[in-house]
Order: sequence, then structure tokens, then C-alpha cells
Amino acid sequence: MKIIELLVGACISFGRNIIGIVFRPYESYRRIADHGSLIELIYIGFVLAFYFGLASLVHTSQFRPFLLTKEFVLLAGGAFFTYILVVGLVWNIGVLAGGKGTLRAVLLGWGYTLIPTVFWFLVTSLLYVILPPPRTTSVAGVSFSVLFLVFSTVLFFWKVILAYLTMRFGLRLDLGRIVIVTLITVPILVFYSMLMYRWGIFRVPFL
Amino acid sequence: MTDSVYKKFVQRWEDVMELPPTSLGPLTPLYKTLTRRLKVMPFPSLVIVSLLCVIGVYMLFGSAITLLASLLQRGF
Repeated sequence: MKIIELLVGACISFGRNIIGIVFRPYESYRRIADHGSLIELIYIGFVLAFYFGLASLVHTSQFRPFLLTKEFVLLAGGAFFTYILVVGLVWNIGVLAGGKGTLRAVLLGWGYTLIPTVFWFLVTSLLYVILPPPRTTSVAGVSFSVLFLVFSTVLFFWKVILAYLTMRFGLRLDLGRIVIVTLITVPILVFYSMLMYRWGIFRVPFL
Repeated sequence: MTDSVYKKFVQRWEDVMELPPTSLGPLTPLYKTLTRRLKVMPFPSLVIVSLLCVIGVYMLFGSAITLLASLLQRGF
């Protein structure tokens, strides 16, 4: 019964936080860092699993269980390893920079930053099926390109805000130290993203 | 002062004091003005900034932004 209570409580918090990170990211991240439960990561995992299932179907384009499972495991494994790497980097470099938070807050904070990531990947996958590239230089092609780039840029900036709030509330860093942590972390992640591209796991990094 | 009011005061005090303040010297008021817009419902501001960025890219590269869009569409 206690497990069910915890799961239901985490589900309610998850739903509330998803709405919160859209409308009130600052307040929501303060609440996530102070009162969030690691069980909420299970629900984030469900959302990611849903996307990986869909992406496997789009990547594979045929209903063959072995190929679909292989693709799913590759995507899910790559995303999980990326998540652990980023949290590890942010936590360790953040602590070296004078951060005083908790690993739980960083785990949860970075977990919620995957929401804009999965949303972009989900919409891009659907657009790949509905309006496959390449785009032409006609008025319609340029208009769609502008809209898609605006959409991508909005989600990128949203992700940057959530990443900043993860470090602000998760590690209790000020802007200067957040910039230092970012400047050290980003080149490592760029190199890692290039490896992911070479290995054919993610063309755009699933950060 | 009642207990509940005192508890709320202490909670608010801890919320404010637990984080180191961000100071950018003379740029601090500008920083505070910008971040005030991003704390609650940041999306209108983000859409405006993104639109300006994309229009800037379009003015630099013209129709070649379709190449960028095609590249990103294959990126998933």
C-alpha cells in the first residue's frame, strides 16, 4: 500500500511539475529541488520510452520485432548513458565550483530538462512522417523552415532556462559559477555528441 | 505574531537566503528585468526572441535556411 501511495503521490507531483515547468519554471524548480521525489523519474522514463518506441517504428519503417527491439534498446541505452554522463559532469564540476546542493535535486532537475528534449524529438519524428525533408526554396518551403526553426529555437531556449534552474536550485550556484560549469561541461558534451553521431545512435544529441 | 504567520515568514526567509544572490555589478538591474520575464510564462518572450533570431538568420543566409531545417528534420 505504501508503494502505491508513493507512486500515486509521485504521479501527481510529476503532472503538477510538468505544468509548472511550462508556466512557472522558477517556482517549479524550487519545489522540485526542495521536495521532489526520485520516483518521479520513473514517469519521465515512461514518457521517454513512449518516444523511443515511436522513433524505433519511424527509424525501422517495418514491423519486425527484432529490429524494433534493437533500435529501442539502442536509443534508450544511449539516452540513459547520456543522462548519467550529464548529471555526473554537472554534479562533479558544480561541487568543484563551490556548489552545495544535493545529487537528488540535480538528478530530478536534469530529468525534467529532458521534457523539452523529448518534445522536440517527438514533434520532429511526426513531422518526418507527415512532411518528410528535404525542404524546397519555394514560399511554402521557406515558411515551414522558418516556423520549424522558431519552434526549435524556442525549445532550445526553454531547455537552457531549465538547465540553468537545475544548477541554480540543485547546486545553489550563482550565475558566474553556472557559466563556469557550463563552459567546462559543453566542450565535453560536444565531443560526446560527435561520438554518438559517428556511432549512429543520435544525430542531434539527446541531452 | 501567530505561529502560522511566523512559520510562513521563516519559510520565506529560508527560501530567499538559501541561494547566493546573483550580482553582475552595474548590469544587475538589467539582469533582474530580463529574468523577471522568464520566471513566469516565459514562452511569449522566447517566441519573440526566437523569431528575431530566425529572421536574422534568414537575412544572412536567405533561402539556405531550408537546408538547416532539412538537416534538423533528419536529426531525430
